[in-house]
Amino acid sequence: MSVPASVASVFRGRVLATAGTCWLLVVGIAAVGAPLLAPFDPLEFDPFVRLSEPGWPHLLGTDHFGRDSLSRAIYGARMAILIGSGSVLIALVAGGLIGMLSAYFVRLGHFLMRVVDVLMAFPALLLALVLMTLLDRSVLNTIIVIGIVYATTTARILFGMTLKLKRDVFVDAAICSGAGHASILFRHILPNLVSPMLVQASFIFAFAQLQAAALDFLGLGLPPEVPSWGNMLSEERVYVTRAPWLLIFPGALIILSVFSMNLVGDALRDNIDPRFKDDIAGV
Amino acid sequence: MVLLDIRDLDLSIARGGELLPVVQGISFTVEENETLGIVGESGCGKSLTALAIMGLLEGSAVRIAGGSIHFQGRNLLALAPVERRRVMGERMAMIFQEPMTSLNPVYRIGDQIGEAILQHRRMSRKQVHERVLELLDLVRIPDPERLIDSFPHQMSGGQRQRVMIAMALACDPKLLIADEPTTALDVTVQKDVLELMHSLQTRTGMSIVLISHDLAVIAETCDKVAVMYRGRIVEHAATSALFSNMSHPYTLGLLGSIPAHDQDVEWLDAIPGRVPTLDELISGCAFHPRCFAAKDSCRTVDPVAAAVAPAHFVRCHFPQGNST
Amino acid sequence: MLVYALNRTLTLVPTLLAASFLVFMFIHLIPGDPASILLGDAATPEEVAELSRELGLDEPLWTQYALWLANVLQGDLGTSVFFREPVLSVIASGAETSILLATMTMLWIVLFGVPIGIVSAIRQGSWVDQATSGGAMLFASVPTFWLGLYLILIFSVGLGWFPSSGFPSLADEGGASNLRYLVLPSLTLAAPNAALIIRLIRASMLDVSREDHVRTARAKGLHPARVAIKHIFRNALIAVSAAFGFTFAALVSEAVVTETVFSLPGIGRLVVQSILRRDYPVIQGVILIIVVFYMVINLLVDLAYASLDPRVSLK
Repeated sequence: MSVPASVASVFRGRVLATAGTCWLLVVGIAAVGAPLLAPFDPLEFDPFVRLSEPGWPHLLGTDHFGRDSLSRAIYGARMAILIGSGSVLIALVAGGLIGMLSAYFVRLGHFLMRVVDVLMAFPALLLALVLMTLLDRSVLNTIIVIGIVYATTTARILFGMTLKLKRDVFVDAAICSGAGHASILFRHILPNLVSPMLVQASFIFAFAQLQAAALDFLGLGLPPEVPSWGNMLSEERVYVTRAPWLLIFPGALIILSVFSMNLVGDALRDNIDPRFKDDIAGV
Repeated sequence: MVLLDIRDLDLSIARGGELLPVVQGISFTVEENETLGIVGESGCGKSLTALAIMGLLEGSAVRIAGGSIHFQGRNLLALAPVERRRVMGERMAMIFQEPMTSLNPVYRIGDQIGEAILQHRRMSRKQVHERVLELLDLVRIPDPERLIDSFPHQMSGGQRQRVMIAMALACDPKLLIADEPTTALDVTVQKDVLELMHSLQTRTGMSIVLISHDLAVIAETCDKVAVMYRGRIVEHAATSALFSNMSHPYTLGLLGSIPAHDQDVEWLDAIPGRVPTLDELISGCAFHPRCFAAKDSCRTVDPVAAAVAPAHFVRCHFPQGNST
Repeated sequence: MLVYALNRTLTLVPTLLAASFLVFMFIHLIPGDPASILLGDAATPEEVAELSRELGLDEPLWTQYALWLANVLQGDLGTSVFFREPVLSVIASGAETSILLATMTMLWIVLFGVPIGIVSAIRQGSWVDQATSGGAMLFASVPTFWLGLYLILIFSVGLGWFPSSGFPSLADEGGASNLRYLVLPSLTLAAPNAALIIRLIRASMLDVSREDHVRTARAKGLHPARVAIKHIFRNALIAVSAAFGFTFAALVSEAVVTETVFSLPGIGRLVVQSILRRDYPVIQGVILIIVVFYMVINLLVDLAYASLDPRVSLK
């Protein structure tokens, strides 16, 4: 099946998943074009229009510093994409390598998977909190911490999948034909794992948004001045009764994006190799 | 007395928005205390026919597209679900091919047999317990007092199939449908189970519909035989008549393959080729691509069932047996 | 069964030791001298020197760990910099809230999650199923603090049905009626978890419904509802029970956000406040307690699993 055809088959008959993809595209465009699209500077204070209602010229109103909510929301899309893809990258590369190597080299795996077990003895949010305690509040550190948290589950999942693949005949055949370890791992095993990893990636992307928002809310995530949806909620929560729209819009943006990503992950999961379907929990 | 009367039964499977026929125009009757054998390769529609009679197609992709199933004079297809369930497991019971997976792993076997009794009979706990012990004894399970409290995984395949039979007999059914009851069992156990079924039939006077891919099993146990190929009955006769005068080339092919019957094989050595898939369109007689006797007319004209002897019907242009 | 339980407990020991070592290392990973970190900024040099000797800081790391572990096993988790109290009693003061909150949350999860999951599986493909599956995924996509804030806005500020923050102990005035303080927080915490349970119950029940023994049960003429509960759900429960356990175990730490939104005096809020106050002995103690709790619950889940599945217990 050609790539466009297989992509099309994922979305055929899935109205919600298609709508979710469209929304994610909107977020992506907002992230890339933020400087052009945002009507105001997201960091600029305007003491004369504090907590103004949605209207002209501040379409989504202003926060208690008088910053334009729409502009902050558009720049927030940037943070969402950055944190999502950053954590996915770390989780998949670190977790993927640990999982694959552990399944392939049995002795190493014995040690590495015990380490993963120990890390998984810490509940996800607690692990993130502990790591954030050791680091300063910054965008990069938030990404690293969330990435590490999901690297453990990813390692566990890919460990199982690689074991299944290793038992398969084609790897034996590759060994017989004299292929080296690297070649077997990356040219024979990895290609089979690409689509399940894509599914895992979409779920991590979704979870990462919620984790980042939670960290922002607890005051342990991104620095408070950074325009992220989580910070918008966290900063304005005391004004929830006076200016409820300040919480509705960023909240809706997070929910829509996480929901869309989950829908896409769900749709992708239905189309992967049935052997791996049960390995990825997702939502 | 006719117990079961099936007329022109059509079954279709919904696949990708269209309906493919899987069973077409099946008709047969089963008298009281009679055993009918249905034989054919896997995929010929024999198990689906059994599920249709039992009423277990609901929730699957297979639909009853036409025909009638009369049981004790009542059309089962016209019954409300409540009425239908009153028949299931009470007057009509079924045992399945896989004794290893057909019992619920989390309940004790005594409770699973008792459940069938409690569903249809007003009995006290103690009475049910007594009845279950009696049933286990009936199916020749040694030491029923002990086994009544064991879980399925603690028993052998043969024992589990006996438990399945005990469960089916719980309410003294008039009809027992056995779908490949011995296929998954060891050869020695197969014989025991078939003998058991036969002796139970003599005792209770029930009728049996025995489904098998194995003509040898059918020959030993059945009064009548229906041979199915690709959703149709291609030969139908009393067992003695059929074996003395095999007429359809497919039946002859099945006979030739009797020695290789230890597994539910996909195709039989004596018949060249394989069972065509559902969506393959075959003009004329559906069996002609694999038939040693096929002639030109077989490729174009679909034969109708015709009598080669009284009560011996064959769906073939060139029946092989000696016509009378 | 007893042998199985003992075996499972023993396999836990190495993981527990390794995890405790990580927790111990926590203090050493923070830049600075462990003794002054543990005592906080207000400590005198004499106090720091005294603690250094006590912790064996000039000894090798391995000996320090042994000393620390010996203390921990005797219930000595150190002294809180902020409260000037033993860490254990600081944590104990939050235990009531945390355990009650987690229990009430589990109650909602079971109360809402189980029936909805079952109906969704039985009516697979119907509009009911699509609505609940979609709704469940939507709920799993909502940030908990956002949900909490809006529940406060609607049910406390707007309707005045429930208090918006705090939790007096059940031993205080009001007694059991103080549980009303936990209604909104537990609902907040339950929402995303119930959503996961609904989807899991649905998926496992659909798996089980394809098994042969379900057909046997239907062939007995049982009512479809009876088949669904007694045969399909009961067998699906084996897989789902594990998720119940994990969920409960994770609730204590997941409650961090919810306890902050509703200002509940639980262990979760203690973690956050201790991090913000740089009260490291408390952070270390709480992590250790939560990790042990998490592992013990997971062990209990395994044992429950064995008792639900007769095939496991006899191995």
